[in-house]
Amino acid sequence: MLLLLTRPRYDRPTHYLFYWAGLFIDEAKKKGVKVIDLDKGKSKKKKFHSYLAKQPIDTVIVNGHGNQKAVAGEDNEIILSTEDGAELLKDKTIFVRACDAGTILGKEIMKNGARGFIGYIQPFMFLIDKNSFNKPLEDELAAPVLECSNQVGISLIKGKSATEAQQDSLDKYAETIDKYSSSEATNSFLLPILLWNRTSQVCYQQQ
Amino acid sequence: MEETNDTQIFSEDIINLVIARLETIPPNIEMSIGNEGSFSIDELKERVKNQDNIGKKMIEMQLAYLRSLGNLPTQELQNAPATN
Repeated sequence: MLLLLTRPRYDRPTHYLFYWAGLFIDEAKKKGVKVIDLDKGKSKKKKFHSYLAKQPIDTVIVNGHGNQKAVAGEDNEIILSTEDGAELLKDKTIFVRACDAGTILGKEIMKNGARGFIGYIQPFMFLIDKNSFNKPLEDELAAPVLECSNQVGISLIKGKSATEAQQDSLDKYAETIDKYSSSEATNSFLLPILLWNRTSQVCYQQQ
Repeated sequence: MEETNDTQIFSEDIINLVIARLETIPPNIEMSIGNEGSFSIDELKERVKNQDNIGKKMIEMQLAYLRSLGNLPTQELQNAPATN
């Protein structure tokens, strides 16, 4: 398997996603999966399209800001949109961790022959503890959402289909929601955010 | 997912309810809302009061959660005693 990963880092949300998406590289190493890591300044449209066109990539994980029709790389440069690049995802499985892209972009990617798509149909939200800003992986308030979301990528790296990866992630959300719903749990203010992201996460797969 | 209408105006009771729920979040926390940026809890409360797009997303999120409370968590279902 060959994984193409984008990890821009130029503001607070992408700073967090940069580190949390770095865990995909660790998982890939464990599984013997090769990774093309377009981190920070490498997360540009030209490179992204070039790798998709020239390398035998199976799985794509995109982190960044998005809207219904597009997703961005470093410095908010659009790297993939309904008008530009969807055709390059034919026969690939893609996870887009960005706001809203599941509504229109995801469907366009599927129309262009992708094997599977997972993304969000609403803004992707998580909490940031300002005291943990320099250590995003140790942020106990960001972790519940980002661990559930990361499960998609981890399952894809393990060779699972989009549908299976989606189910694994939804199961993790359910487990986490149960954990924070218990009477002993603190931080129950996380529950609306967990539910929001769980409900917003969609999956499309070729029959 | 239930969505709010962009022109929908929420009652003062709903606004106060959502603000009260946001006040359960500690003040040193920010919420990252995709490409809209990161917001302090005080900023979110203002957005809710103003009922702008971000405020309406907060309202939508909290109301969706409150409505979901009718569904028992699966853990409670698993731990429920047998009836006979």
